[in-house]
Amino acid sequence: MRYMIIVKGTPAEEGRAPASELIAEMGRFNQQLVDAGVLLSGEGLQPSQSGAIVKFEGKKQTVVDGPFAEAKELIGGFWILSVKDRDEAIAWARRIPFTDGEVEVRRVSEVSDFIEDDVSRPALEAERAMRDTGKW
Amino acid sequence: MRFMIIRKADAETEAESRPGDGVSQELLAQMMSYNEEMAKAGVLIGGDGLMPSSRGARIQFKGGKPTVTDGPFAEAKELVAGYTLIQVGSRQEALDWVKKWPPLDGHGHVELELRQIYEAEDFTMTPEIVEQTERVRDLEDKNQQR
Repeated sequence: MRYMIIVKGTPAEEGRAPASELIAEMGRFNQQLVDAGVLLSGEGLQPSQSGAIVKFEGKKQTVVDGPFAEAKELIGGFWILSVKDRDEAIAWARRIPFTDGEVEVRRVSEVSDFIEDDVSRPALEAERAMRDTGKW
Repeated sequence: MRFMIIRKADAETEAESRPGDGVSQELLAQMMSYNEEMAKAGVLIGGDGLMPSSRGARIQFKGGKPTVTDGPFAEAKELVAGYTLIQVGSRQEALDWVKKWPPLDGHGHVELELRQIYEAEDFTMTPEIVEQTERVRDLEDKNQQR
């Protein structure tokens, strides 16, 4: 099963360049994930200044440009791991070389978790085909 | 440049129903067309839905010491229900794709956050770290193909 580890941040922490020691430690952590064959992907997000929030309310769309100072929590980055269970995902999260901070561990839905019936089958089959051919 | 579209959670995505439960044929069709359109345009590079936070956990680090708290977590608006990764030529192009989000999702009431993803060239890195980053990327690709 797959788990997503979401790195949380606050607006006040945004844009603080990571110290080179942290970059080096992260590199070692990522290498451990790779050596264990569990790392599927991982990315860092730029500060919310280059981002936007789009709200849909009925037919109305509202675009608010970043930065989002009012947000309590912002996402700084994520890993997606392929592990055998939730405990293994949490064990990896505990080994992240953070001194302070918070991460969230969330299970990723697989195509096989969705209800498959006559209504949903075409959508699920299309998704499987896109994932299998690497388009997704 | 790459962007992440974050679909914020709501009471429905946090509920303990099976994914797809109660989802209308129209919404499924819209989602499928949207993803297919992005895939054909060479824009879609990834995307997943997350299960409710009741199946998740938070790990807080203080002075390097981790403390685990099990979900669920209140304040659905601050939670993530799913994400889509796209590769586009500009921020405006990314926003244009966001605006085409299936209008039936969340019964027409949904909040999406668009965020740019760091590329390796955004960092000043020593040659050793650049090399390590490339090694990690190659192995990530191999893991995905397993």
